[in-house]
Amino acid sequence: MASEVNTDFLHDKKLDSIAADILRPVGITQGFIVWMGFLGISLLACIYAYYIQFDKGLIVTGLRDYISWGMYIANFVFFVATSLVGMLISSVLGLIGFKWVKPIARIAEIIAVAFAAIAGLVIVSDMGRPERLPYVFMYGRIQSPIIWDVTVVTTYLVISTLLYFLPLIPDLAISKGRMGHTPKWLQKTYEILAVNWKHTPKQYQILLKAVRIMLILIIPTAFAIHTVTSWLFAVTLRPGWDSSIFGPYFLTGAFVAGSAAVVIMMYFVRTNYKLDKYLTEHHFDMMGKLLVLVSIVYLYFNINEYLVPGFKMKTAEAIHLKDLFVGDWAFMFWSVQLLGLVIPIILLLFKFFRKPLSMFVISIVVLIAAWFKRLIIVVPTQDHPFLPIQHVPKAWMVYQPTIVESAITIGTLLLVIIIITVLVKFFPVIPIWEMAEEQNEIDSKSKE
Amino acid sequence: MIKRYFTLLLIVLISIRLSAQVWVVPAENDARKSPFAFDDASRKAGSEIYMTSCKSCHGEPGKNNAVPLVPPPPDMSSVRMQANSDGAMQYKITNGRGTMPSFKNTIATTDVWKVISFVRSFNDKYVQEVAAQAAGGASVANVNIKLNWLKEQNQIQATLSAPSKDKGILPVGGAEVKLFAKRYFGNLLVDEARNTDAAGVALFNFPKDLPGDSAGLVQLVVALSNEAFGDAKRDTTLAIGVPTYRPPLNEQRAMWNVVSKTPIWLLLAYTIAVFGAWGFIIYVFLQIRGIYRAGSEKNTESAE
Ligand code: HEC
Repeated sequence: MASEVNTDFLHDKKLDSIAADILRPVGITQGFIVWMGFLGISLLACIYAYYIQFDKGLIVTGLRDYISWGMYIANFVFFVATSLVGMLISSVLGLIGFKWVKPIARIAEIIAVAFAAIAGLVIVSDMGRPERLPYVFMYGRIQSPIIWDVTVVTTYLVISTLLYFLPLIPDLAISKGRMGHTPKWLQKTYEILAVNWKHTPKQYQILLKAVRIMLILIIPTAFAIHTVTSWLFAVTLRPGWDSSIFGPYFLTGAFVAGSAAVVIMMYFVRTNYKLDKYLTEHHFDMMGKLLVLVSIVYLYFNINEYLVPGFKMKTAEAIHLKDLFVGDWAFMFWSVQLLGLVIPIILLLFKFFRKPLSMFVISIVVLIAAWFKRLIIVVPTQDHPFLPIQHVPKAWMVYQPTIVESAITIGTLLLVIIIITVLVKFFPVIPIWEMAEEQNEIDSKSKE
Repeated sequence: MIKRYFTLLLIVLISIRLSAQVWVVPAENDARKSPFAFDDASRKAGSEIYMTSCKSCHGEPGKNNAVPLVPPPPDMSSVRMQANSDGAMQYKITNGRGTMPSFKNTIATTDVWKVISFVRSFNDKYVQEVAAQAAGGASVANVNIKLNWLKEQNQIQATLSAPSKDKGILPVGGAEVKLFAKRYFGNLLVDEARNTDAAGVALFNFPKDLPGDSAGLVQLVVALSNEAFGDAKRDTTLAIGVPTYRPPLNEQRAMWNVVSKTPIWLLLAYTIAVFGAWGFIIYVFLQIRGIYRAGSEKNTESAE
C-alpha cells in the first residue's frame, strides 16, 4: 500500500468499468441461495452431531485415556495455520512493495478472518464441558501457554478483521449509487460501514496510517499465534513434540497451507465471477512461485525435524519415529510428505504447472495433505506415553475417530466456507479503488 | 458396531483366561477368623475405609460399576467375592495381586477386618465365626499398650497388658507388635516386628536420623500385628526425629504455581505484550472515528 494516494482515479472513466466488473457478482443470486441452502442443511446435520456430543460428553468421540487430543486439536492447528496467510500476503509482501499482491490481499484477509474466527469454536468442540469455558478466564493462569494462545488468537482475529475492513471503506463509498441490483438492506449496510467516507485527502491519510500500523502489528501477532500454538506441544517432554524448532516449523507449515487456500479461493473467484481480468495468469504464476518458496522452506524444517532425532534414535523417540517411518502411520506420513510437499515443489518449478487450473488442483492436494499433516503431528505422539496405563482395554489405547467427531469437524469447515461465501458475495472481493488507482498510474505514465 | 463387538469379545476372553488363574490362599490364612464380632460400629468404620481406598476400582457394592480393568475387580456383593472365606479375603487384601494393590502397610490388620465386616453386610446368608480366645487367659479384646521412650538406649519400649477374668491385670506375652512412624502416605515400619516377652515388653531400636517435622516431632504407632490378640493400637507423638523444615513447594513464584504466584518476568512480558498490541488496536479504532469526523468537515474540499 502506497504512503500517499493520488485521488485522480476518482474522475477517471476506468473507475466505472472496474467497479462494474467487481460489483457485478455482489448481491443475492439464485446460485448463492442454492449454495447457501446446501451449506445450511449440511451444517444442520453437523449441529445435530454436536448436540449429541453436548448431551453425552466426549465419550461419543474416539478420544480416550491415551489419546485425548485427536481430530479436533489437529483441526485447530490447521485452522490457525491457514489463517496466517493474511499476514504473509498483505503484510510481508505488501510492505516490501510487491504490486501483484493488491488484488489478492483481500482474499488472503478473508481467509485469515474466517479461519481465525472459527478456530476458537474448534477448541470449544474439544471440550467435554463447554459450559465451563468461562473458567478459562476466571481461573486461567498466565503461566499456561493455553492462555497465551487464547489471548493471541483473539488479538489476531481483531487485527485481521481491521485489515479486511479498513481498505474496504473507500470501496463501500465508491459502490454507493452503483448497487442498484442489490437489496436495500445491503445498500444500507454499505452506507453505515462506509463511516462517512468522502474521499477527502485527510481521510485517505488517516486510513493509510491506520492500515500501516495494523500491517506492522500483525506480523509479530501472527508469529506469536502460531509459535504459541506450537508451544502447546513443544513445552512437553513427549517424543515428537519435544522439539526446539517447533515454532518455525509450524510457522512455515502454516504458509504452505495458507498459500494453497488462497490459490483455491482465487480460482473460485476468478472462474465464478469472471474476474480473470484482475486475477490473471500472472497472479497465479506468482502465487505458484510463492507456494514453491514456502514449501521448500517447510521441507527444510521437516528434514530437520525428522532427520536429526532419526539420526540419534533415542529410545522413546525411536518408537515414535519407527511408527511414522515404517509402522502404523507410515502410509499417511509418506503420502503427506510426498503429495503435500515434494511433488508439488517439483511440479510448480515448471511454468507449465503454474497455470490457474493446475495450480488449483495442486493446491487442493496440498491443503488436504496439510490437514493430515496436523493429525500426524498431534496424534501418534500420544500412542506411546512414558507411563503407559497397564491392564486396560485396547479401546483406551487406540484412537478411532467416530462419525460424530468427524461430522463436528466438517461442521467447523462448513462454517468457514459460509463466512467466506458471505464476505465474497456481499462485498467487493477485489479492492476497487486500489485497482483504479493503479490503472490511473499506469495510464498517466504511458501518456508522459 | 462390529469393532465394538470384537473389543468386547476380546475383553471377555482375556478376563476368562485370567480368571482361570485361581488365586491360591495358603490353608493357614484361609482358616483365619476375625478376632472380634462384626457389628454396626465395625461396618461403619469399614465402610469409610472402603470408600476411600477401594471404591475407585471396585465401585459401589451391588451396583456392578467397577472399573473395567483386566482382570476385573469383582463387585463386593458378587458371588465370586462372597465365596471367599474371611481369612481368604483378609489374605487377598493384605497381599494383593496384579492391579489389586497390597494394603499390607497402608491399612492396619484390624481395619482390614472392619472392611471385611462391611463387605459381608452385602451377603444375607453370611454367618460370622469369631476367632477363639487368645491363649493365656487374658481377654483379647482389651489389650492395653503403654509406650516409653528410653532415651539413653535410643529405644522405644512397648508394654502390653490385659485384664483377665480372675487374676487381675496380666502381661500379654508372645504377641507380635510393630512400630510405625506416620508419613505422608501411609505408615513407615520402624525396626522389625518384635514379640513381647513374658513381662509383655517389646523393645524397638529407633534410628537417629529419622526426619521429623520442624520441631522434630514424629507420630508413632504401635500396633498388634497378630490379630489373634485382638485390636490394640497406641498412638503417640515424640520429639525424637531430626527437625526438618521443608518450605511448602508452592511458596515461591513459579511457572507451575497459581496465577497470583506468576514469575515477575512473565507477568511483565505478558502485560506489556497485551497492552502494547491492544493499545495500537484501540488507537486504530479511534482513527475510524477520525475518518468519520473528517467526512463531516465542511471546509475540506471533497475530492468527489
Ligand atoms: C487399583 C484398583 C483396586 C483397588 C484400589 C482395590 N482393588 Fe481389589 N481388586 C482389584 C482387581 C483388579 C482385582 C482382581 C485381581 C485378580 O483377580 O487378579 C481385585 C480383587 C480383589 C479381591 C479378590 C476377589 C476375588 O477374586 O476373590 C478382594 C477381596 C479385593 N479386591 C478387595 C479390595 C479391597 C477391600 C480394597 C480396598 C481396601 C480393594 N480391593 C482395592 C483392584 C483394586
